[in-house]
Amino acid sequence: MQQFWLAFGFGLVTASVLAISAVGLSLQFGITNYINFAYGDFMALGAFMTYGLNAEVLHLNIWVALIGGSLGMGVLAVLLNRFLLSPFARRFDRTFYVMIVTFGLSLIILNVVYSIWGPDVRAYNTPIEQVLHIGPFLLTRNQLIVMAMSIALMVLVHIMLKTTRLGKSMRAMSDNTTLAMTSGIDTKLITTITWFLSGTLAGLSGAVLGITEGNLTPASGELFLFVIFAAVIVGGVGSIYGAMAGAVLIGLATEISAAFINPSYKLDVAFVILILTLLFRPSGLFSRPGKA
Amino acid sequence: MSAIWYYVFTLVFFLFDYFILAMGLNIQYGETGILNFAYIGFVAIGAYVTGAVSMPNSVGTGQHYILGWSIPFPFNLLIGGVAASLLAVIVALISLRRLRTDYLAMVLISLSLVLYDVCNNFVPLFNGADGLYNVPEPMVGVFHLTSNAFVPFFAAVTGVVAGILWFVMSRITRAPLGRTLRAIRDDSGVAAALGKGVFRYQLTSMLIGSFYAGVGGGLIIQFGGSFNPSAWLPGETFVIFAVIIVGGVGNNIGLIVGSLLVETMLVHLPAFLPAIPGHPGLIEYIDAMVIGALLMVMLWFRPQGMVPERTRRFTIPSLAARKDDGDAVAVGANASPKEAE
Repeated sequence: MQQFWLAFGFGLVTASVLAISAVGLSLQFGITNYINFAYGDFMALGAFMTYGLNAEVLHLNIWVALIGGSLGMGVLAVLLNRFLLSPFARRFDRTFYVMIVTFGLSLIILNVVYSIWGPDVRAYNTPIEQVLHIGPFLLTRNQLIVMAMSIALMVLVHIMLKTTRLGKSMRAMSDNTTLAMTSGIDTKLITTITWFLSGTLAGLSGAVLGITEGNLTPASGELFLFVIFAAVIVGGVGSIYGAMAGAVLIGLATEISAAFINPSYKLDVAFVILILTLLFRPSGLFSRPGKA
Repeated sequence: MSAIWYYVFTLVFFLFDYFILAMGLNIQYGETGILNFAYIGFVAIGAYVTGAVSMPNSVGTGQHYILGWSIPFPFNLLIGGVAASLLAVIVALISLRRLRTDYLAMVLISLSLVLYDVCNNFVPLFNGADGLYNVPEPMVGVFHLTSNAFVPFFAAVTGVVAGILWFVMSRITRAPLGRTLRAIRDDSGVAAALGKGVFRYQLTSMLIGSFYAGVGGGLIIQFGGSFNPSAWLPGETFVIFAVIIVGGVGNNIGLIVGSLLVETMLVHLPAFLPAIPGHPGLIEYIDAMVIGALLMVMLWFRPQGMVPERTRRFTIPSLAARKDDGDAVAVGANASPKEAE
């Protein structure tokens, strides 16, 4: 039982990271209606820019570096959308083409990271920390900060979507872009802001993944991508709240299963859940009509 | 034989092999519109199974793998192809009917990563991260080949296999089956409205394409004698996409052009360049970026590829013949082209 609660604690940490990344992916998907297969590499690039600020130049505190790295990734995402993805999306009706472009972008970003930082396993420069006993859980201070950050971000996203003009415009675009445009919403601006948010959340989640795991490699984002996909599909594609719920479910399931099976396969558990979802509830737990 | 010729025949081998792989992905993506981002996973399964069935029982070899039936070439290749097809059928039954193209692509790329993870970690299956090695070279005993003569010999064998598969594929794409697949690609709703069982055709396309993937993978392990997870990172799928998009989607001739341009010129030639001092692997990284960028440039400026898909025109022989008779009523009754499916 002790082991179960320990795993549960780790599950909450993984769920926190997963929630940030899944929401970032879902926001962008809801607006542009195509999947960004380079998202895992956005995470890796954000994580490594954070690493650069934290351990190579400036030697910033990890949390300051984190903000720098993720905002940098947000800006980069806006530029990539402006000059690469949105021209393709406008030119070709079928999302086929732009998805292949994101797939190619993934290859390019991954290799950019490889050529700058090399294939070695790195770790952030964080103060040595002791493990804290909180109830039945064993967590580090950094893991607690990540969890708090994730919960705060989820609340912020919720407030943004439900109360602000920006959030309402985003939800309107996600339902029907043309209708939103005719209602006077500046869809181009909303798309840009969405890409900024999506890129920032990607970079942030990549960095916190590196912090909670204690190491980072260029390929770690790509490997994490299918866990994000699992969370998003299980939650119901296109639903932000579904993505959050899926993240909690998948995060807990992968870590708790690691207590009972070989931990090498813990991420594959996410895939098993994905398959079960497809078999029994293909539209996901919180599906929205017309999106699946 | 000099080293140069060794390299040349290696390049020839990969040219033919990627032609096969490209044909398999082309029937899925180019003809049917299935965005199979897990393609390299099917290639890998074909390679592993081909290798594992051709090797002797694993006891005492120092490797761990299943099967081990000592089956000779080319039967092991067929088993490899069938294994990849079986996987495709399972995947298709679970996901194809339920998902729109883009979600299917998400599931497939996940599948590719999971397959990779499992093959990399689960040693009893295909020897884990070390992969299979010392796979017997095919037909060496029969023809008494030296290891130098094996490379050109096997390049030629691959050429023959590619020729056969190309012939079969060109029949398929010209047959009613191919027409139906293209109809599904262009608009699956319209195809369904015309009474085509969209799912059944997509399943067929996955099955055929994956067989090609398996055979292509099998040839790789037979050529090199070894195969391990580093050979099939999920990004490799992208190289095959690049082959068909550069060559020309939906066009079997274009694929060999694409294979020549992408696989031979961009993937394998740079491998012979000397490494940049102090930056091991940099050429490889730049190479991958160039392939990614080339694909985007191609998609933007020439989305139809180097050799575009022919616009197919169909004449209906019965219609042409009957017009001469002036039998207009009979034309109305029988004019629709018969789909043999």
